[in-house]
Amino acid sequence: MSEFEAYRSLFVAESRENHEMLVRNMLILEKGGSQTAIDEIFRSIHTLKGASASMGFMEMERLCHTMEDVFQLIRSGSAVISADLNNMLLACSDIVELMLDDVEGGGDSSSVNPDEQVKALKKWLSEHTGKPIGEGAKTAGTQRLATSEKITEISDDTDRPRYLITIRVADDCVMKDIRALLAIGNLESLGTILSFNPSREAIDEGNFEGILQLKIASDVGEDALKTAATGTDIASVEIAPAGNDEPVLTSGVSDDIKTGETDKKQQSAGADKNREIKNLRVDITQLDHIMNLVEDLVINRGRLKQIAEQNKIKELDEAIGMVERSVSDLQSLMMNIRMIPLNHIFNRLPRVARDVAQYDGKEVDFVMEGGETELDRSVMDGLNDPLLHLIRNAVNHGIEAPDVREKAGKPRKGYVKLSAHRDRDNVIIELIDDGAGINVEKVKSKAVEKGLISKENAATLTTEQAVDLLFLPGFSTADTISDISGRGVGLDVVKRSIEALKGSIRVETNPGKGSRFELLLPPTMAIVDVMIVRINKRRLAIPISSIVEVANFKTDATHRIGTSDAILLRDEVLEIFLLDDMMGKSADREILIVVQYQKRKCCIAVDIVEGKQEVVVKPLSSIIGNTRGVSGITILGDGEVVPVLDVNTMV
Amino acid sequence: MGKILIVDDTLFMRTLIKNILFTGGHSIAGEAGDGEEAIAKYQELKPDLVTMDIVMPKMNGIEALKGIKAIDPGAKVIMCTAVGQEQMVKLAIKSGAKGYIVKPFQAPKVLEEVKNVLAS
Repeated sequence: MSEFEAYRSLFVAESRENHEMLVRNMLILEKGGSQTAIDEIFRSIHTLKGASASMGFMEMERLCHTMEDVFQLIRSGSAVISADLNNMLLACSDIVELMLDDVEGGGDSSSVNPDEQVKALKKWLSEHTGKPIGEGAKTAGTQRLATSEKITEISDDTDRPRYLITIRVADDCVMKDIRALLAIGNLESLGTILSFNPSREAIDEGNFEGILQLKIASDVGEDALKTAATGTDIASVEIAPAGNDEPVLTSGVSDDIKTGETDKKQQSAGADKNREIKNLRVDITQLDHIMNLVEDLVINRGRLKQIAEQNKIKELDEAIGMVERSVSDLQSLMMNIRMIPLNHIFNRLPRVARDVAQYDGKEVDFVMEGGETELDRSVMDGLNDPLLHLIRNAVNHGIEAPDVREKAGKPRKGYVKLSAHRDRDNVIIELIDDGAGINVEKVKSKAVEKGLISKENAATLTTEQAVDLLFLPGFSTADTISDISGRGVGLDVVKRSIEALKGSIRVETNPGKGSRFELLLPPTMAIVDVMIVRINKRRLAIPISSIVEVANFKTDATHRIGTSDAILLRDEVLEIFLLDDMMGKSADREILIVVQYQKRKCCIAVDIVEGKQEVVVKPLSSIIGNTRGVSGITILGDGEVVPVLDVNTMV
Repeated sequence: MGKILIVDDTLFMRTLIKNILFTGGHSIAGEAGDGEEAIAKYQELKPDLVTMDIVMPKMNGIEALKGIKAIDPGAKVIMCTAVGQEQMVKLAIKSGAKGYIVKPFQAPKVLEEVKNVLAS
């Protein structure tokens, strides 16, 4: 087994792809499916089986083998796939996934017991083939010369010499009949085979126990015939001149021929040093460490640049220019390495949607788009659970039961679409459903009931504000907690998870028509372009991606609205944030930075703009916890620690 | 020792076979991931021997075998097979395959078969 260690990662990677393909096609099959899907499934299972057998992961091989048997029947058209069978097979695919986890962790798939699934499939098989399917029954067995009742002999009227050849196929040979056919093929090219025992038809049908006798008329000589009959898995070839008498029929040729015993000891692929390595698996912690070093380089590059500027040393300037280019390349390379397509987590979601729909007795068409959009691994890691939850939510709470939908004049089948795309510097993930939408009144009364807001307050809330109540801790609109949406996670946790990724979540709802959840995520959390500004002599970094405009600040043009100041800019009323509590009061506010988050805008009044810079944002969470309004801190070239504004939570 | 073309739709299997063949002193003419590619590579590389997987996308191993045999009737093709594929292998043998190896591959068996078929 140890020689195979080198193949483990390759095995896991390809097997996971095959497993995903398997699940994807099973879902297609469930929707009505096609022969293509069945063929693909067969191919996936077949590959999984072959690969696991090669690695010696016998439990996995056993399960996949049984699944393959099932699909063999379906593929040939002798059985159709039922809902029950589909569920059974999906359960099997779950086991396969667990096995792959086990293998990835260094196991051999035996920590997962597939007995139950294998038994269920075998039961199905015996019901559909009418015969119990034994395991590996064909491999063992003693050699026996079939005593066929009638052996016909072809007449050969040439006077070529005739020989009686007895070929014994090795005991441990798999597919003995095919070895026999190969030997026959080789001999046929050298002469005319006059008779067979067992008959050629019998061998063709697989009735072959290991010994083949035949009579051949040929003039190439004994040696040539012997060579032709000899080959892999051929234990012995006996050849003797034969007369024109009776056809071959010698019984009792059942001596035990033991071969391959020594072979077995050396079986397995030898490790080889010539192997080309094109892919490398790197421990993620190492990657993170490299990333940290790159971040340090970025910080120090800024520092060097400042020193060079201050001291006006030309040579240093040039050298820094070179370093800067290398660091930039290194940085973007590191970013690319860390980027993973969303499919990585998207692929398992159709299965989730299906399971929830089935559990709830709903019909759902789940569509995905944009899975190729890339995200930083660190963002991806935190995205899985929120997405799972939102999809469960959409099917469980959003989509109505088929009858209800029909009454409302909608198609019975609900529609849930998950899509992702890159928008400027952000990745946007959308989850749209055509369900009932959010019942705003119900949300309000629930919030009042739970003491989250007062009755008077509730009456004044806009639809948008009311929907935001969903994200309050401890809010759950479902009257009863279902098994599926359950797990005790509310939308508040989803929101917190997304905010921890420096992203944001928004909901739009249209009663009776459906809802739309939008997640806005930074493709990477580590390095961002920021504008450095000063308020009250202190520096602050604002991500460029959220800035839409920089304008002059005329204090006489502001208006007092409620408790805050606002300004009319390009026909828009924008609230002004002074950030006094954060930066302290300042008398020289001259510039307005207009920031935007989704469709909402506001502006921040600052003293001066220092310039644009690429910085590394370090999270605060590990030091002082998540702080609303600040997404992290950064260290500038001169060593100053500067907060980075989190516009998303401000607007 | 021969120049061998490896045909299989998975990198895992190709790597496995490649390493076994290396240990036997063979050289690898090339690799193909499906039947169509196999035929194209056969024409281009003129290998001494082909190891051919059966279940593959686009064009399966049997069709590819027939395609190769049509180009070169003397082509030496070994089928890569698994228990349960007996019928397919028989079909392959009738279509001119010269040998077969059974998954999970055992290095000595594979090398023996390759040697025998090369010598035939």
